[in-house]
Amino acid sequence: MISIFDIAIKDLMQLLRDFKTFMFLLLMPILFTLLFGYAFGGFGGGEGGDARLPVGFLNEDERWVSEALHDLLTDSEIIRLRENSSLSASALDLMVAEGELAAALIIPSGYGKEILSDKNARLIVIADTNTSAWKTIEAELLSITSRLDGAARTATIMDKYAGERIPFKYGFDQTLEAWQEPPISIVETTSSAVKETDDGIASLAHTSPGMMLQFAIAGLLTAASVIVTERKSRTLQRLLTTSVKRIHILLGHYLATFILIFTQFTTLILFGHFFLKINYLRVPEATFLVAFCSALCIAAIGLLIGVIAKDEEQAVSFSLIPMFVLSGLGGAWVPLEFTGETFRAIGHISPIAWAMDGFKNISVRGFGFDSVIIPAVVLTTYATVFFLLSLWRLNATEES
Amino acid sequence: MTNSLAIEVLNLHRSFGNTKAVQGAKFDVKEGEIFSLLGPNGAGKTTTISMLSCLLHPDEGDARIMGYSIKDNPMGVKSVLGVVPQEIALYEDLSARENLTFWGKMYGLRGGALKKRVNEVLDVIDLHDRAKERVSKYSGGMKRRVNIGVALLHKPKVIYMDEPTVGIDPQSRRNILDSVVALKDQGMTVLYTTHYMEEAQELSDHIAIMDHGKMIANGTHDELVKLVGGQTRIDLTLNVEAGIVQEIWKNTDGVSQVSAENGLITVLVEDSNQALPLLFESATKHEARITSVDILEPNLEAVFLHLTGRALRD
Repeated sequence: MISIFDIAIKDLMQLLRDFKTFMFLLLMPILFTLLFGYAFGGFGGGEGGDARLPVGFLNEDERWVSEALHDLLTDSEIIRLRENSSLSASALDLMVAEGELAAALIIPSGYGKEILSDKNARLIVIADTNTSAWKTIEAELLSITSRLDGAARTATIMDKYAGERIPFKYGFDQTLEAWQEPPISIVETTSSAVKETDDGIASLAHTSPGMMLQFAIAGLLTAASVIVTERKSRTLQRLLTTSVKRIHILLGHYLATFILIFTQFTTLILFGHFFLKINYLRVPEATFLVAFCSALCIAAIGLLIGVIAKDEEQAVSFSLIPMFVLSGLGGAWVPLEFTGETFRAIGHISPIAWAMDGFKNISVRGFGFDSVIIPAVVLTTYATVFFLLSLWRLNATEES
Repeated sequence: MTNSLAIEVLNLHRSFGNTKAVQGAKFDVKEGEIFSLLGPNGAGKTTTISMLSCLLHPDEGDARIMGYSIKDNPMGVKSVLGVVPQEIALYEDLSARENLTFWGKMYGLRGGALKKRVNEVLDVIDLHDRAKERVSKYSGGMKRRVNIGVALLHKPKVIYMDEPTVGIDPQSRRNILDSVVALKDQGMTVLYTTHYMEEAQELSDHIAIMDHGKMIANGTHDELVKLVGGQTRIDLTLNVEAGIVQEIWKNTDGVSQVSAENGLITVLVEDSNQALPLLFESATKHEARITSVDILEPNLEAVFLHLTGRALRD
């Protein structure tokens, strides 16, 4: 077993002595992230970006109370209303389903009347209630609606007993102001909403994970080269004459390329978080789980290519195909959110799409740890399948 | 040398598609002896070594290395084995010391024992002074020495050396041949493959000759030379095509065999003093001039020619 680590250390020594590898794995992705980020809308996602959770808004009620609710929501530090009078309830439903909105709020017709009648008024909310983003939004909505309801009730009472001296509207406004400190307190106010530029084009928040994955998947060429070089230099055959098991040889190479790709992810995540102000570390354990599983998957694909390729030329051509297909299909270039439903479904054949989902669920959509579990499982499954195929292929080819 | 067998090869067969690479290889190697597999390129030597190294499964037959079956106990075989492959199997971007340390770990050495052994091997291959340099900066001969050094790290009981002198300068070749003899002196059993007849002749206690996957002869040098009946080999070149002259020489008194390859005519004769004037005479009759003559006393080359009708050199 210890030979796995010896092989991995040897591989890393070799790779790190090659300046080209260092350039390609670390410097190039940083430069390209900056370049593409700038091209896709500059650095507006930084300090000037709106970090509140995007919530669709549709007001079907014309009462002034509903307008008061709208004003309260507009002033929220948690929720950012996305208003578009042309959007229907079903359109909002779709946008929530696709992750474009963290939730949608509809004020139904008659809502204001029921509030003022001291009845139990209800708002319509569309949301995925399993997400942590929803919990944050729910708390904020409860706080705001409680404040509104409390103001209405107090004003009603005041109107009942002193209506002749105090106009209802005046009482309502005074109470609303008095309830500025709501009875419900929000514990978590951190938000990770879409940081979008004014023209709505995806900026660094999208570019960074896309570029990160684009360059990470280029790491499969490194992984493939390790095996091909080992075979070309006949050291693989020599290793096979020692007592080291084939699976340990493969695991050693796998570990080295995994470490390299994971280090690349870590560097780019930290760079994105601290320099580009992308909220990768909002749930750090989730982001690093996605990075870990993505690195496992990419290293395994590279390993399989290395075992299949007979020489360096084949390794390069076999690597370029999945590099372009998987990253293009998986939304590393153009966000899958901007594509049709069919393409989105096909795109998820690519592990890159799952990795993108994982990263963006945290950094863009404001979801919690739970949201990366499925992408992580899918990526790990891909990694396992590719590794087992590599092992099978190594056993088959080295024998023939 | 003892009478115990280090290597027992029992009727090994191996094919690649329709090509029969090894057909019924069978030989024994005693502990502490140098045994050479001699044959031209493509004779099946490397395939045989690969099967004995457990890199390839035999289609048929088995072999035992220090009692371990290559079929049933490959890990046992690998534990007593050091392999010097034909190609330089080293990491060129690591230094000699880093290479030896890595390979030592692969052979199960650790800590102080590994460090000590690496230093010992660096002494043996005479590269202590340049141990920190990357292998890529070494000459071919130096690389060959490191290549051999790797196989010695775990002090194997049996060592396979697959054409270790291919493509190197005469001085490095000499060093390697000396080191092979030194390994024997240390009690190691050496299985040596080569297509250089002189190397097999100089080093080996026993020699097996392979051709087209078959073992065509096996014995000591003297035993093999006796196979050609003490015949002398004469290599000649002509200023014209061999054609008719070659046919005439086949019927000349005292000539037992004539073959021609790449302009070189090889003739086996009972007595060179008697045959040479006849060869000159018949060449002159057919308006051919003999431009060079090389007389070789009976050797392994002649044995190969005698057994196959072809020269060993190709």
